[in-house]
Amino acid sequence: MQDLSLHLLDIIENSARAEAKLIEIRIDVDEVSDRMKIFVRDNGTGMDSKTLAMAQDPFYTSKMERVKKVGLGIPLFKQNVEQWNGSFLMKSELGKGTELFAEFQASNIDRIPLGNIRDTLLGSIIGHPEIDFQVCLKHEISGANLHYEFDTIPLREELGDIPITYPDVISYIENDINEGIQNTKMEEI
Amino acid sequence: MKTLADLKKIREKAQEEMKLRGSNYRIKVVVGMGTSGIAMGAREVMKTFLDEIATRNLTDVLITQTGEKGLSSMEPIVDIVEEGKPKITYGAMNPEKVRKVVVEHIVNGRVVSDYVVSTEK
Repeated sequence: MQDLSLHLLDIIENSARAEAKLIEIRIDVDEVSDRMKIFVRDNGTGMDSKTLAMAQDPFYTSKMERVKKVGLGIPLFKQNVEQWNGSFLMKSELGKGTELFAEFQASNIDRIPLGNIRDTLLGSIIGHPEIDFQVCLKHEISGANLHYEFDTIPLREELGDIPITYPDVISYIENDINEGIQNTKMEEI
Repeated sequence: MKTLADLKKIREKAQEEMKLRGSNYRIKVVVGMGTSGIAMGAREVMKTFLDEIATRNLTDVLITQTGEKGLSSMEPIVDIVEEGKPKITYGAMNPEKVRKVVVEHIVNGRVVSDYVVSTEK
């Protein structure tokens, strides 16, 4: 994956496959402490401890288990994060959902850019009308604490019987996310 | 800044349109968004469909994204599902091909056979 936004899309798709009804996404950039955090939580089917270990380990497979339900996306992301002076944590409980937390050094020379989170979020929100999304972007620069939130729950209430996939709604969401990314200065992270 | 008032306007307009044509979708577009699809550019494919739907105001097209489809060598993969017609799967898609599929297939009903990797009843 070329950037973090593509990793995020891969993580969101895992949650969607786990039949999540709500996905929470937080991206936190703190330039004062030079740390960056990505947090994703879903209320999907969750995994038992064996599947959770398997989802994070690229080599954990036996001949019988060659067909993994979760691909290489998570192990690659974990490996990346750990190389950027960071840590990766995944928690899951059957029937409750899965939580993923990555924390790493923002200025690390090997860190890949954040990339186009607008397209990741817009595609996921429109492409999964059955899932609610709560997104929070935070950017701390010295002297300023920039903040943006997007939540599909009040949006859906306002839309009533109009689907989120309606053309003007797509444009509305795209504009909102665009402004949020600009206002939090997240374009060039 | 867009506000909830803008959303109300959108809702009123959409309700008028749905009164005229009903709320059913004519065509469903499914973009494969598994790990290999993402690595091969499936997100750009999805975004191009969204742009086309928004600018052409295609209110009767439903676009969704889904996980791995088992055709990794043909990614990005797109299914076009239309009631009463065979499901068409397009492969090795990119933004340019998407725009062609939207005009030819979705708007004018002609399958773009050059990009088809499978047809299924």
